[in-house]
Formats: sequence, C-alpha cells, structure tokens
Amino acid sequence: MNSLRVLWIFLRVGIMNEAQYRVNFFVQLLQSAIALATGLIVLALVFSYTESLNSWSQPELLIVMGVHTLMGGLIQVIIQPNMLRLMREIQEGTLDYMLTKPEDSQVLVSVRELRFWSIVDVAVGLAIVGWGMQRLASPVTLAQVLLFLLMLGLGFLIFYSFWLLVASTAFWFIRISEIVTIFQSLFQAGRWPVGIYPVWLRTILTFVVPLGVAVTVPAEAFTNRLSTGGLFLAVGVTALFFGASRGVWLWGLRNYSGASA
Amino acid sequence: MTGKRMRSRFNEIKFLTAFYSLRVKYAALLVFQYRLATFLWVVGLIVEPVIYLVIWSTVAREQGGIIGGYTLADFTAYYLVWMILRVVNIGLHPGAFEWRVRNGRWSHLLLRPLHPIHDDIAFLIGNKALDFVILIPILILLGLFFRPDLNPTGWQILLFIIACLLGFLVRTVWQWALGLTTFWVVRVQAIFDLYFAIELLLSGRIVPLDLLPDWAQRLANFLPYQWSFGFPIEVAIGRQTWSQAVTGIGIQLCWIVGGWILVMFLWRRGVKRYSAVGA
Amino acid sequence: MYAISVDNLSKSFFVPIREAGLRASFRSLFKREHREVLAVQNVSFSLEPGEMVGFLGPNGAGKTTTLKMLSGLLHPTAGEVEVMGFTPTGRDKEYLRQMTLIMGNRHQLIWDIPALDSFELNRAIYRIPHDEYLQTRDEFIDLLDLQEIVTKPVRNLSLGERMKVEIVAALLHRPKILFLDEPTIGLDVAMQRRIREFVKTYNERYQATVMLTSHYMADIEALCRRVIVIHNGQILFDGALADLVKRYSANRRLVVTGPAVAADFSRYGVVVESGSGRVVLNVPRADAANVTSRMLHDMPEIDLLIEDPAIEDVIEDLFAGAGMGASDERDPLAR
Repeated sequence: MNSLRVLWIFLRVGIMNEAQYRVNFFVQLLQSAIALATGLIVLALVFSYTESLNSWSQPELLIVMGVHTLMGGLIQVIIQPNMLRLMREIQEGTLDYMLTKPEDSQVLVSVRELRFWSIVDVAVGLAIVGWGMQRLASPVTLAQVLLFLLMLGLGFLIFYSFWLLVASTAFWFIRISEIVTIFQSLFQAGRWPVGIYPVWLRTILTFVVPLGVAVTVPAEAFTNRLSTGGLFLAVGVTALFFGASRGVWLWGLRNYSGASA
Repeated sequence: MTGKRMRSRFNEIKFLTAFYSLRVKYAALLVFQYRLATFLWVVGLIVEPVIYLVIWSTVAREQGGIIGGYTLADFTAYYLVWMILRVVNIGLHPGAFEWRVRNGRWSHLLLRPLHPIHDDIAFLIGNKALDFVILIPILILLGLFFRPDLNPTGWQILLFIIACLLGFLVRTVWQWALGLTTFWVVRVQAIFDLYFAIELLLSGRIVPLDLLPDWAQRLANFLPYQWSFGFPIEVAIGRQTWSQAVTGIGIQLCWIVGGWILVMFLWRRGVKRYSAVGA
Repeated sequence: MYAISVDNLSKSFFVPIREAGLRASFRSLFKREHREVLAVQNVSFSLEPGEMVGFLGPNGAGKTTTLKMLSGLLHPTAGEVEVMGFTPTGRDKEYLRQMTLIMGNRHQLIWDIPALDSFELNRAIYRIPHDEYLQTRDEFIDLLDLQEIVTKPVRNLSLGERMKVEIVAALLHRPKILFLDEPTIGLDVAMQRRIREFVKTYNERYQATVMLTSHYMADIEALCRRVIVIHNGQILFDGALADLVKRYSANRRLVVTGPAVAADFSRYGVVVESGSGRVVLNVPRADAANVTSRMLHDMPEIDLLIEDPAIEDVIEDLFAGAGMGASDERDPLAR
C-alpha cells in the first residue's frame, strides 16, 4: 500500500501549495457560478417548452447536470493537469526523472499536479445533485445513494483511464494535445443523458469517450433507470478502460526507454 | 490641402491592402502545417451544434413537431449554418491579451508602424482557410444525411456572405475591446467567462433567438452578440426578409464602428498605461 | 543636431511590496502597498549621427529601461528625450519607421514560416519600396551567409541562425537608429563575431546611430569607441573606452617572461598568475614606471610587457567600488 501513501503525500503537498494562491479561489468561484447559472438557465429554457425531455423530468436532468459538473471538477482538479504534464514531458523527453524513482511510475505521473481550487466545481456539482434529489417525485433510498457513489467511483476511474490512454499515445504521436480539444467538446455532451442522442453518437459516447457510463449511469442510480444489465455494462466498460490504459502505458514506457537509450 | 489628405488616405488604403493580402496568405500557409490538428478541431466543433440540435429536436418532437415556428427541418438548417458561423466567427480570445501582457509580447507589436488589430484580423482571416476546406465536405455530407430545410436564393446567399464577414468583424472588434482591459486589470478570466456565457445564451448560439422569452430577446437587442450568430444564420435559412436583412447589415456596421471607436479609445489609454508601468 | 539627446531623464516604478506568510498574501488581495523604485535617475547624454556607443552596467542598472524609453515603449517619469527630432513616446509612425530595437532574447519572426516570408511581411509593414527591399535583403543575406537559412521555417533554425535572421528582419527598413539590447546573448564566440561585424558594416554603410548593451566586452571593444557606464540608474562615466580604463583601473599589469620567472616577484607587486613560463603582476598605475625600471635593473635578462587590465576587470572593479556596491536588485523590466 506504499502507492497509496505516495498518493496521499503528493495530494497534501499539492493542496498546501495551491492554498497559497487564494486569488485562484475567487476566480474559480466566479467561473463556477457563471457556469452554474448558464446551465440552469438552459435547463429552464428547455423546460419552458416541455414537461420532460425524452422521458427525463427536470429534477432528473438536474441530477445529470450535477454529476456532469462534479465529474468536470474532478477531471480539472487532478486528472487533466497531470495528464497534460505527462504528455508534455513525453514529447520533450523529460519523463526520465520520474522513471528513475522507486515507485510505480503510473501512480507517480498521476498525482504530481493538483489544481485544487477546481474542487469548487465538485462541491457545486454535489449541491446540484442534492437539489435534484430533493425535488424527485419518489424519496431517495440509502441503497440508491450507495449505488450512486459506487457508480461515481467507476465514472472517475473511467475518465482517469481514458485520459491515461490518450496521454500514453504521446509515446507514439507528437502533438496529441488536439485530442484534449475534442474531449472538451465531447464532454459537453454529457450535460444531457446520452439516451437522447442518435445511435451513432451514443455509441461514441459509450465506447470511445465513455461519457455515458461515467456521467449518465451514476445519475440513473437515482432515477430507477439503472438495470442490472446497465450495472454490468458500467463495471465492464470500467474494467476494459482501466486494463487497456494500464497495458498501453506499460507498452509505451518500454517504447520510450527503447527510444531514448 | 484636401487633395493631399485624399492622397494620404489613398496611400493608407493601398498600404493596408498590400499588408492584408500578404498576412492572410501567410496565415493560410501556416495553418496547412497543422492539418491533423485543424481536422480534429473542426470535428470537435461539430459536437456542440449536434447537442443543441438533438435537444431542440427532441423538445419539438414532444410538442408535436414545431416550437417557436421552427420545424425539425428548420432546426437542422439552423444548426448546419451555425457550423459555418462558428468557424467564421473565431476571434482572438481575450485571454490571449493577458498572455501578451504577461510575456511582454506587446513590446514587439508596439514597435511596428502598424496598429496590431490589423495584424490580428488578417491573421484570423487567413487562419480559417483550412477550416473551410475541411468543413465544406462535412457540411455537404451532413446536409445529405439530415435533409435540412435550406433553399437560399441568390440574394440570400450574397447577403449571407456579407453578414458573415461583418459578423466576424463585430465579434473580433468587441473581443479586442474586452481583451484590452488586461492593460488595467489582470486575472480577468472570470469576466471573459461571463462574456462568453452571455454570448452562448443571447446570440442564437445555443438556441434560435425566437425561442427565447420576450424579455431576453429585448435584452439581446442591446448587445452585439446576435449580429455574429443569430442574424447571419437567419438570413441563410430565410427567416429574414430582404429589407430586414439589409437593415440588419446596417446594424452590424454600426456595431463594428462603435466597437472600433471603443478599441481606438481603449488602445490609446491602454498603451499609455502600459508604457508607464513597464513594457 | 544630435541623433539622440537625453536630458535629465528619470524613470521610477511602483512595485508592490510582498510580505511572506498566508495572512499577508491574503491582505494584499485587497490592499497593496507599493514602493518606489528609481530605475533611471537624471540621466543626460547625446549621440552624434552615426555614432556607436556602448551602454554598460550590471543587471538592473537601468540599461534596458533607458533603451525602452528611447524606443518609445516606456514613458519617462521626468526629463526629455529626442531621437531624430521625435519624442519617442509619441510613437509617430515616421519615427517607428526609422528605428529598431533588437533584444537578444525576444523573437519577432513567425515561428512556422520561413524567414523570407517574414521579411516580406516586414516589407509591407514598413512600406519599403520593392527595389530597395530586394537590394537590402540580398545584401544582408550575402553579408551573413543566409542563403540556405532563410528558406527554412524559423522553428528549425539554431539559436545563432535565428538571431541572424532576426537582425536582418529588424534592419530591412534601413533604420537610422539602432538599439541593440544584448544582441549576442547566448551565442557562441564565432557567431558573436559574425553579428558584431555585421553591425559594424551596417553602421558604416548606412551611417546609423547605434546604442548597444552587451555582457560581452568583446562586442563593446570591437564596435564602440565611446561608452556610457550606468549603475543604479545613474551615469558613472561617459567618454572614450580608453579613458575609462585609464581613469578607473588603479593598476597596470606587468607580464614577465624569460629565464628568471622562477624568482620571487612578490616584492614588486601582487602576483596574480605564475607558471608556464610567465608571471603576471598587478602594480599600482602610479608606480608602474618605477617598478618596471627596478625590475629591469634587478633582472636585466627578462622580457617585460606593460598592459592595461582587461576591461571586464576594470568594470567589475568600478561597480564594486566604494559607495556603490553591486546591487542585487533586479531590473524590474528584465522579465
């Protein structure tokens, strides 16, 4: 469990470091507020024309939006900054320093950077989920909450694995940062339940950029939409992505050492 | 005297034309070196309108196939043309100004006998060449696939082209004015976010303006945003009569001139301030 | 008429005071305290047309600040500047077309296209007549051997190659006034020499007035007969380079060669170097003649050479001199 200890130390240092820059906190607070207001206005606009969107009610869509915001926050806090740095270092060939350390390289490259103040988005996301829960027609059960948390955890793992997979491609392709742009525009699609999209897009959002599993599925935990099949799909997709990213990472590392030797 | 002034005006125009044509050419050549990046960028761009299109089509379908005068085919037309405008409208992100201040980039731009806004505008025009090369086949494909209700007449196409160009200038000039605030205050990221959030809602970007509540439509009339998105799109999909379109182009011109005056005013002040504290 | 005249020029900056600690940094979010830093104080000098002057001083002395005021990038806090009859901060386009500022660590060329295309763009920006442009361009390309280089994208060039094309781009409009701020920084010795020679040729052909700062004394020695020394924002010396040495070096160097170099020379002066068949002594300037004749008297078989110390050493002594210890304060502009 040494990896966990390393992870904790890095996180702590990262938080202490970022806590100095309080301006960032205010900037983030404003940015989150603006994004939240925009999201709510759009939702209100849609529901000014209709009672339900593809059978999703307004509180249910609030939960989807909450999960989306939360996930976006987590990606900003820890996943994206680390992976961007990783890509940069692979391209510039400066990754060697990390590889000489006596610890699992994947753990190390995943926890070096922290944009702590984006945690605001996580809090905002949770608040929206809570708000949506309150307005649901049927009361929420403890089982649902546990299922939700489990799915959230899987969702986080999926995004992490997805990003590691993308970052690892930098071992072979230069200038991969455009993938980031594509991810960011596709990520916006997760604001809505993927079920409303046409089949081709839904397929992309499940297996290529697994937003559906990582955002819609946790929200489904509260809305009684999550079937056993859906649960297995989520676990399966997570395992698939996690395994694939680990494999590609290790493969890329071998490639890297070979190239720089 | 007036003859002399005329001649200097004429020289100025000749000079700017020469500069623009060269700068546009080089910016276009430049972007062809990043074919993959540009391709991925354009592909990523399609996601946004597809999301809006799906949502509003879903809503329309649940309301019997039409809302706010837009049928499903109208929505499709709207968001297909939207993609053209999205590419046309790319301006300098105001964040780039912060970057220029922080990295001392203005020094170099200030030393040249040319207003930097010309450099930016010309660059942005040339920079789009490849975007269009990629976008046009995609649009044709999407058009065949989605069957939009899009049958513009000759004059609509002509006015649409003019409206696009002017829309680009409206957006660029106002973003430039906003960006210039970084001469006075730093860390204005949140203000830029606010600017773009309002644009998203009140420009016709996320939803056609006709679908907004009345008060929001009235508010939009006092802002420049719709002249870069909603208006040109509506010209193309035939929701503006000839006289409405011509009037709209006039209003676009007014926003450009207004923004230009603001830019020149802020620029003079900003440079003075910039050169007081350290370039 | 002078090409550049500077009268009682001063520039001060207000820089925020940063205190350590979380509470202080939080407080500074709302209320910032400032401190005035005098970057340049009452500086006056003037340059004749066609003159090349070296501008010397340690980091933070105010060199860059002064050059930026001369090129119009900075507003002076007080004093007058006139260059070619213009007030630089007016940023008159006529003025901008007659001057150039080259900074060794700043780059203006477009990264992804060949330098030749950037030249073409500068032709448009500076409104250079086509024939004149072609002539100047080819002349510079010849002088600096750039035929192969100018057609490659700038990003593929080495640092030295890039500096050469930067300089060409900055001089295509044949400016009458050149401000060169560390133009050779980070380049190898051969490349430095190349650029030096080019600046010299340019100055001779176009009678340009040049103000140059450099950390490399070789640049200054090769190009400038006159130097202005600035320290802590004030002018310490303005005159011929040779006079600077005479005036500020307390010592001369005696270089002894010959059979007797194993002898003890410490009774004649401070031995700074000995071995490999020679001995170098530092002797107070006033005593030099005296010591020399004593040595020749004591050891008639030796060869003796009297030198001025290296200019670097003179300058170092000058800045380290009484009452003006080298300041650690960084030039607020040297970012």
